[in-house]
Amino acid sequence: MTWVTKSTAAPDSTTILRGLVSRRRVPLGSEIYNRLLETLYDEAATLDERRFDDWVAMLTPDLVYQAPIRITRTGPNKDRDVMRTMFHFDEDYTSILMRTGRLQKSAWAEDPPSRCRRFVTNVRVAECETAGEYEVVSYLFLERSRGDNPHNEQLTAERRDIWRSADGGYVLSRREIIVDQSVLGMSNLAVFL
Amino acid sequence: MLQQASLTLRDGTTLDDLIMRDTNEVSLRVMTDEELYGHEMERIFAKTWLLLGHESEIPLSGDFVVRDMAEDNVIVARDREGNVNVSLNVCPHRGMRVCLGEAGNKPIHQCIYHGWAFKPNGDFIGAPVEREKMHGNNVDKATLGLKKARVHLYGGLIFATWNVDGPSFDEYLGDIKYYMDQLFCRTDSGLELLGPPQRFVLPCNWKVPGEQSGSDGFHTLTLHRSLMEGGVMGGTAESIYDQAPGMYGVDVSCEQGHSLRCLEAEKTFKMFADIPFEGKSTVERLNLLTPPGITKEMIPQLFNNLSEDQVEQLATFPPQVGGMFPNILIAFIFAPRMDGGSSGALALHTYVPKGPNQVEFVNYIFAEKDAPEQMKRDMLQNAIQGTGTSGTIEQDDADVWPVIMRNARGGVSKHMTLKYQALHGHEQPEGWKGGGLLYPGFTKDDTQWNWWMAYHKLMSES
Repeated sequence: MTWVTKSTAAPDSTTILRGLVSRRRVPLGSEIYNRLLETLYDEAATLDERRFDDWVAMLTPDLVYQAPIRITRTGPNKDRDVMRTMFHFDEDYTSILMRTGRLQKSAWAEDPPSRCRRFVTNVRVAECETAGEYEVVSYLFLERSRGDNPHNEQLTAERRDIWRSADGGYVLSRREIIVDQSVLGMSNLAVFL
Repeated sequence: MLQQASLTLRDGTTLDDLIMRDTNEVSLRVMTDEELYGHEMERIFAKTWLLLGHESEIPLSGDFVVRDMAEDNVIVARDREGNVNVSLNVCPHRGMRVCLGEAGNKPIHQCIYHGWAFKPNGDFIGAPVEREKMHGNNVDKATLGLKKARVHLYGGLIFATWNVDGPSFDEYLGDIKYYMDQLFCRTDSGLELLGPPQRFVLPCNWKVPGEQSGSDGFHTLTLHRSLMEGGVMGGTAESIYDQAPGMYGVDVSCEQGHSLRCLEAEKTFKMFADIPFEGKSTVERLNLLTPPGITKEMIPQLFNNLSEDQVEQLATFPPQVGGMFPNILIAFIFAPRMDGGSSGALALHTYVPKGPNQVEFVNYIFAEKDAPEQMKRDMLQNAIQGTGTSGTIEQDDADVWPVIMRNARGGVSKHMTLKYQALHGHEQPEGWKGGGLLYPGFTKDDTQWNWWMAYHKLMSES
């Protein structure tokens, strides 16, 4: 076995990419901004209320839904901490359907279900190259209550989305969830972010 | 006669009171007892071999990752000679962590507190202002290195132990090596870690997931019912207990506490396509159902690296799940995909103790280095969607374990016992080539009891 071969696990596979890529901003308070913000609020309510069929209807068939892991780094590479070689979620439309289908049967992790509140803030919007597509970056704060445990599990993340105009509304075609913890404090991710 | 245990807790409770060898029970108290946990740190985690990662993570000189041997933080680094070193990440000067990052490349690790510096192999280089001899007036520099653990590479997996003069890695593995080789040492280029591990913590003792890693097959039928409902394991939701998919095979184990569940490929295969194996050669069988992670093109490699008997077993009774004592879970599983493929998922977990009431779940996901890129991509998805943080199989485990933990704290509940009384007794199946303790048929409690006996043995030795 040779050890000089570059591995995908090597730490230089990290990237720094965060926030908006496009410079064509959609200003705060504009109609498109307001409607996208409303869509994010609607989506949060859909998930908090566990209306998974309604949520799936907000997703495109070419969906990419990923949550790369974060690692702690020092020195010149200290900001290159998003590892896009390993994920907490690595999903497409089909696998999301598998997950939501499972949640309607014997998924003990969510039966009894968690009580969740998804707080969505710091929303920034820009136009993509493709007409009718928007980059939407938001902060997510998830509070999750399980069983009779009075202490909520929490998670904070930045979400980098692409929402596409469709049928007078918007549908989600890409989401990258950048969690802040290198070691998650939540005992599973049986809920969507 | 049972050997007298030499461990007695302050209140007079002995190890034999907690692990009842005459009735095959374990007191729930073992999951919460702080004093017992202290002994485990010394008698198990400072003594036995522990998994810290894979050498494909640190391919170049100076590459390092930081990992935990229980609550002892260590630097795992490649030196200029190409060797893998494991050193305690505690500066011998004033106790600061020398390396604060989780991964990277450094020819020198310098403590940020007073500047003591170390090589990737842990050797002391010096302290700043050399002329003032800040490392000590009459102290030999050779004594000031980071504390070094003993390292062994097995199939590229990095194992280390503080027990410098203790059993060799092969002695630690014992008779299970014959079966483990079929997973870790079967291809020319070996395994590759696909990315740094997923890490998350659970509010439970390390032994709650630990004892399950002793090949608890039975929980699959009920806790992982959704596998049957989703058609992943054959049968239907209505016939789960009648058909009991995946429950029959040969469980293998050894006195060191390791185990593997070897499931009959023909029955597993029927879940996919219903083509019988009768009268087919080993190579034909392998072509009909390649073991998880292996392509048809890689089948000749199996014969290069394993004995004919081992390859034959891989074709008929491939090891699927199991564990290594004390805290490793192995899942090298078939994973049929929605797109029709079944490239499999290869994952190893370590359950790293973080106090009596917390465990860190570290999920390492692999592929064979020689597998095509698309297959690696598929296998990464298979493993993420099934295991670890969000995996639909292990989500349910992560939900059960903390609840058992909360139960273990009750004044009455803590005297309840875990029961391992569904025992088969080991027997040699006809024509079986491998050694070890063998349990053919329906999966029972034997392998998990062997896990507890390995625990008992180490905890009895001070």
